[in-house]
Formats: sequence, structure tokens, C-alpha cells
Amino acid sequence: MPDLYNKLFEDVRFREGLKACLNCGTCTAICPAAEFYDYQPRRILDILQTKDDSQIENLLKSNTIWYCGECMSCVTRCPRGNAPGLLIQSLRSLSQELGYFTESEKGRQQLAIKRTIGKWILEYGYCLFPSEIMPAMHPEQGPIWEWEHKNIEAVMLRLGANYKGTGPGILRKIPDEALDEIYRIFEVTGGISRFDKIEEFSRKKAKEMGMDMEDGTNDDYMKFIYTANSGNHTKKHEG
Amino acid sequence: MSKTAIIIGGGAAGMETASQLARLGIEVDLIEKQSRLGGHLNSWDRLFPNRRDSKEVSEYLELGMNDGISLHMNTEIDDIRMAGERFTLALRDGNELYSDALVIATGYEVFDARKKEEYGYGIYDNVITSVELEEFFRNNKQKNLFEGIQSKRVGIVHCVGSRDEKAGNLYCSKLCCVTGVKQAIEIKELMPDAEIFCFYMDLRMFDRHFEEMYYEAQEKWGIQFIRGRLSEASENPDHTLLVKLEDTLTGLPLKMKIDLLILLVGFVPSPETQRLAAMLGLKEGDDRFLCAADEHTSTNSTAIPGVFLAGTVKGPAGIANTITDARSTALQVAAYLK
Amino acid sequence: MKVEGKQRIWMDYQKEIAEDHFFYVRSCVRQNFFPGSEKTFLRILKSELQKDIYENPSHTTCSGIGYHTDIVPFETAMTMVARQFALMTEAGYENFTTSCITSFGLYSEVLETWHHFPETEEKTREFLLRATGREFKKPNNVSHASDIIFRFRKEIRDKGKYKLVNQHTGQPLRVVEHIGCHYSKMFPSKGIGGAEYPYVLIGMIEDWGGEVIDYPERRHCCGFGFRQYLIQANRGFSISCSKKKFDSMEPYKPDMILTNCPGCPMFLDRWQYAISEMEGKTYGENGHGIPVLTYEELAGLVLGYNPWDLGLQVHQVPVEPLLDKIGIPYDPEMKFKGADGQDLGKPESPSFLKFYFENV
Repeated sequence: MPDLYNKLFEDVRFREGLKACLNCGTCTAICPAAEFYDYQPRRILDILQTKDDSQIENLLKSNTIWYCGECMSCVTRCPRGNAPGLLIQSLRSLSQELGYFTESEKGRQQLAIKRTIGKWILEYGYCLFPSEIMPAMHPEQGPIWEWEHKNIEAVMLRLGANYKGTGPGILRKIPDEALDEIYRIFEVTGGISRFDKIEEFSRKKAKEMGMDMEDGTNDDYMKFIYTANSGNHTKKHEG
Repeated sequence: MSKTAIIIGGGAAGMETASQLARLGIEVDLIEKQSRLGGHLNSWDRLFPNRRDSKEVSEYLELGMNDGISLHMNTEIDDIRMAGERFTLALRDGNELYSDALVIATGYEVFDARKKEEYGYGIYDNVITSVELEEFFRNNKQKNLFEGIQSKRVGIVHCVGSRDEKAGNLYCSKLCCVTGVKQAIEIKELMPDAEIFCFYMDLRMFDRHFEEMYYEAQEKWGIQFIRGRLSEASENPDHTLLVKLEDTLTGLPLKMKIDLLILLVGFVPSPETQRLAAMLGLKEGDDRFLCAADEHTSTNSTAIPGVFLAGTVKGPAGIANTITDARSTALQVAAYLK
Repeated sequence: MKVEGKQRIWMDYQKEIAEDHFFYVRSCVRQNFFPGSEKTFLRILKSELQKDIYENPSHTTCSGIGYHTDIVPFETAMTMVARQFALMTEAGYENFTTSCITSFGLYSEVLETWHHFPETEEKTREFLLRATGREFKKPNNVSHASDIIFRFRKEIRDKGKYKLVNQHTGQPLRVVEHIGCHYSKMFPSKGIGGAEYPYVLIGMIEDWGGEVIDYPERRHCCGFGFRQYLIQANRGFSISCSKKKFDSMEPYKPDMILTNCPGCPMFLDRWQYAISEMEGKTYGENGHGIPVLTYEELAGLVLGYNPWDLGLQVHQVPVEPLLDKIGIPYDPEMKFKGADGQDLGKPESPSFLKFYFENV
């Protein structure tokens, strides 16, 4: 079994984020995720402080570390200078590197993010692109987006964008040389390796669960992870 | 010529050191920058652990002010020079004082609660400090602090400005917990149908009868204790406060409507203490309070011969310990001057 | 409430904002959902304020959304940031300004990390050289675009044609200001006014004639939460956060919400729509919702620009009630028309959140 605490310690965010927790709860008091989910950032630090690998392994395989919205409200308040938000980031990174993320419902969703945001970063040089934000996948964007999406070129022109154009401007076509540079950055820094791991571990999990996994966003596994919600993520109040 | 001592600071520590030295026949100058003696004791109403009237302690200290003590009120110090074993103090009004020993008893201030921005002190109407509450008890026994407040829910916030890296003070101020429990009982006495909550991290009930007071607060007065550090206070449309904290014992975040929030502000070294320390080259700890020559065996002298410390210049301390400490300083000074 | 208390805090958090010669990097979300805003920002800086602001077409995303969904490793994000700095260095600039708040947070985080862990800076330089052959200098000054508008708010006011005043009642407009979490929560000293009472939007509102509302959930996250929105199964979190804010601000009867992060206005706008569809409840007056604006849009309105040039037509919550309050004229016929006036049809009307003009 890998020495998980030491692996976490290699991440500078972990070192920056974990000083010593006195369990005062100011982080949990202000955390939006703690309001809605069965989640307390204080508990995360409590567990990490024990340096107990078996507890850390459970954490890495659980839904718990995926509830955080990375708003960093916790960082503003902690009287000991801890940063639960940063610790969550280091936990999520390790969970993906080791493949533990596929053990939890929320963790499995990482594949969906990789195949959308991750794909668009490399393909367009942007994290989002209008043609990719399908109204059907985003009904909450409302009829206004549906209209905009249908007329995207005209609307972008109207609002002064340089949609898919050359030169500077809003949503310009980012030059291929720049996209090549980004790809190489991802290669040398471990970004591609992370993407590959997300795919590889997800593939294994899909097979285990008896689901189809192809390459796009339409296969069974993708639809499953995008929408599955057990309904067991909020707090249970007794009495 | 007989040797003399100058005591800087006319609070409990300075007064007691002065009176003990005078009893031992030593000539003393006591310098105080305000117009009255007593320091912070003048702001307190009733003292823990048994809630006796602080005026009784003030009276005791006043009794010790006899002819052997030259009082210099409304006096500030511009400079201190050391030559051999003599000290020369240059006063703001142009005069000079000389002595063979110096006692620094310039005490503390309370933490400026405005620095804890998220608590809304100085911004929202119904956020006050424990000091303001104490002054209310002392001066306004007939008036109702809670005038105009409907449902009488009071929140007492522990550790304001203490144990807090963001506030700049890592240390515990020691006495706020017992102050909070005491004030909780006192508020409940005044408003028997009030709901009172103490929001604490740990309860530092370390001295004699403190723990018993905590028990009494719960059992006799129904004060409720929630283990969670206050994260923020905001204002509702009706000027009540919405506080957010986590009840760490149940692991649930908590939001509460509170009518009055009382901040238990901690100790910080007074600016005067720091100024004199810099002038004399006295050692400060990481917590900015002054260091004695030895933290166990020599807590009243400093590394500089002839310079002594008394009271809260060394860190948070209660009245009883301050008075005892002052007597110990007097003994050290007397021995030094022989 | 004592405003002097807040003012004292603002004095403690003064931040240096560069005056001119900016290297500008765009926002993924803002370009997608509020393109008019970025257009307006550059127009204001160049035409109104005569500033030198430069955009290198080769610049890309900082990968912030990828970083905060944890698919992009920290080293990758640092190197993406480094590449942007290299482009800035190459163009001869020292003042870096971002359109996006997540970017602003990421650039700040990376610079702080390099400062506290110098080996990470060294490694990043190596990575960037290896991957792209580029080298970089760190910027002298990093600001968010809203910092710049803040800095020149008085000039904008002086050139302005409109004030944030209700022309029917003569009263200042009641404005809720919402600051993006990554602006100052991680590094309070990098936000004007700090983390608890940020001043960057308040300064604009007050100088432009409006009145700021304080309400209990003022500093609550809008709920973007990155993965909490992007994955459908998680969206309950996102909408709940916004709903908390709406419920909290409602009793104060705000006329509008002002934001500086690109994501927040999108959520605060769309979630009002979603809540109305799910629960039949609308906020604001007459079922129209509370209009949500970006600071660029508000600055543009103050300066008298055409609302449809600013991109207000692509908001789900109609902005017309606000325009009417201020007295800003607009042509309802042109709202959904293209650049040459061509007919692009119009969006369907939601069930509860009414469009202002049904017959357009």
C-alpha cells in the first residue's frame, strides 16, 4: 500500500494548507458545501492530521472529497492559517493519480469533466466554447441560451466578437502554434498523463460495472456518471 | 543618600508594588499617564471567581497610597537614560526624575475588536465588547441595556483576538472564558427569560472556583454552551444579528438569530509597554509581551539590572495574580536596592 | 449600521492598481456568456480613458476551470500561467490585467506559491522552456479588470450621462454587490477592501449615485463550485447557493445585482430563471426578477452606450425594468436583431419570469 500521507506531502498545496487544526469549526460554519451536503471541512483536516493511511485511503475513495466547491471561504476564516480548500485540491489530485476516484459516485464524474473542459482546453484553447454548450445538456441556461446558441454567429457578430476569426478579439480562433504549445505544456507537466489516467481508470471501472464506454459524451458510462445521484449526499437528521 | 525606585504605571500592579515598597521604607515615585489610579480595575463591575464588587479591591489599593509615595498623575515619559546604576526619566512636561530602580507596570489593552471584521464590531449596532458590558453593569444598573430588544437572545463569543493567527495573536488570553461565564450569569440575573449562548473553542476554567462557576452557569442559570468558534455575524433587516458557526460536537453548521452579541476581547500588550520596552531594550516574546529574566525562577526582574516588571506587561493575568506578582516585584526591588 | 466602521476597514486594504499599459487576458466564461462586456471594457479603456491596453491573439485560457475541477495538475496550471507571462514579457508589458476572477485568483496563487516555494518557480521555467522555448518575467502588477474600472470610476462618472438614481422617485438605486470568491477570499490583501467588506464594486456604485445594500448572505458563494455546476448530478448545490442569496437579499428590495466575476452574473441570472420554473417563485418586482449586471455593463450604461451594444439582450432576467428606472432609452424592436438589423427570431418566454415586452 502506497504511503499516502507522504505522497500528499509532496504537493506544495498540501504543505501550504495543513498547519495544525484545533477543530474550532469556523471553516465548516461558512462552507457552502457543509450547508447542503454531509460534509465538514474540519473533519478533513482532522483525518489528515492523524496521518493514518487507512483513513486517508477511505477519504480518497469516498464522495466526501468531491463536495467542495473550491470557493476558499474557509481560507478567509481559519485562525490557524490552514486552507481546507487547498487540501481538497491535493486530495483530488492524488485520488486521480492513484485511480481511487472511480470508487465513488462523485469521483467518477471526473471523466465527464475531462472529456468536456479538458478536451476544449486542448482543442480550442478555451475552457468553454459556445458550440459545445448544448442547450439540451444545460436546460438551466434557459430559452435565452437556446436562442443564442441557434444564432451564435449572428449574435457574436452583433456583440462585437471575433468569433473563430484571426487576430485579437472575443472567441477568436487561437492560432494552431499556440494550441501546439499548450499541448506540449500539458505533455511535459503531467497534464496529458493525468488525462490518460482518468480515461484508463474510468475504462476499468466501466467494464467492472458492465457499461459501455466509447470516446465521446454519448456512451452509457458517460451518461451514467453525468446524471447519477444516489440522493444519499445530504445530512440525515435523526429525531 | 537612600536609594529610590520609580514605578511606571498606576494600575493594580503599580499601586501594589508602590505600597509594598513604601511599607519597606523605600522612597517611591509612581508615574501614571491618566488622571486617576487603578487602570482597568476602574472599568470592572464584579470580579471573578466570586463576583465581589471591584470597588472593594480598588479601595484596598488606594489605602496603600501613603506619604512615602510621590504620585505623578497625568504624566508621560519622553525618554529614559541609564548611567551606571542610575535612571534618569525625562518627563513630557520638561521635568526630570531620578532613581536607582525602575518598575515597568504599564499593563495591557484589550484587543481592538474592529480588527475582527467579520464580527461587525463598529459596524452593526448590536455588537459590543465584554468591556463595554462590564462598564454598563458598573454605571447603568438602573437602565436597560436591552431596551428595545425583543426576544432577548444573547450570544457571547470567546477567543476574540486570541488564538488567532489572522488577528495577529496566537496566544490564549486566559481570562476571557471565565469572564464570559461570569457575564453570562450576570446577564441572566438581569434578564431571567433571556436565552444565553456561549460560543467557545475550549473552556479555560483553570483557577479556583472557575470550574464550579461553569457548572453553576449550566445547572442553575441554564446558560447554553456551544463548542464552535464564531465564523461571522451579519445584520438582519430588523437589526438583529445572524451568526454562523459550527456546533463541532454534533458536526452541524449552525445559523442563529441573536439580539445582542458580546465579544470577549483578549489582552494585547499596551502601546506604552511596547514603547518603553523599545526605549530600554527589554526583550519581548513572540507574543510581544515582555520577558522576565527567567520564566520560572526570576519572573520579576529583567536582563537589565535595576529594571523590574510587574503585572500584565508579562502577559494576561487576573487581579489576584497581579497583586501577588506586584508584591513579589517589591521584594526583588527592595533586595536590589539594599 | 455604521458605515464609518466599514470605511475604516477599507482604508486598511488599499491595493496598488497600475495606471496604464496593460496586458489584457480574456475570460472563457465572459467571452462565452457576456461578450458585450469584454468589448465594452476595451472600448472604455481605449476611447474614454485613452489607455494603452494590449491583447496578444496567441494568449489562451489560464486553464483555471480545468485547475479547479482538478483535471489539470498544478504544475500544468503554473506553466500555462507562465506562458501568459511570457507573452506579456515579449510584448514589453509589466502590468497584467485579467478579465476573469478565477484567473485573477489563479495568477495570484501561482505568484504566491512561487514566492513561498521558489523551487516551483524554477521548475516552471524549465517546463515552459522545454515545452515552448519561451522565457518570462513576472509582472510588476496584477489587477483584475474591475480594479481598473474602480480606479477610474470618478472619470467614468464625470463623463457619464446617467446616474444610478430612480428617475421616478429621485432615490438612489438599491444595489446588491456580489464579489467573486477568488477575488479576495484566498488573499485578502489582493482585493480592494479585503475579504470581508470588499470595496471594489461599492466604490463604483457609490460614485455613480447608487446605494449599496448589506444583507446577511452578502459574502456567500454564488454556487458555481466548478464541478458542482458542470456536472448535472451536482447542480443542486449550485442552485441552492444562489437561492440562499436571493432569499436573503429579497427583504431589502434590491433594484439590481452588480458582479465582478464573469461566472457569478451568469449563475445569479440563470438560477433565477431555473428557480422560477421549478417553484414558480420570482424575486424582484412584478415577476420580472432582479437584473444582474457585470461592472462593464454598468459602466457602459452610465456612459450612455446602447444597451444592446453592451449585450444586455442575452440576459435571461430582463434588464429593461432597470433601464426604465434610470431613464436610459432603448429600442425594444432592436433587442434581438442581428448586426445589420436582421431578424433572428426571439427566445421563448419563460413560464414565470416575464419578458418585459411580450409583443416584440
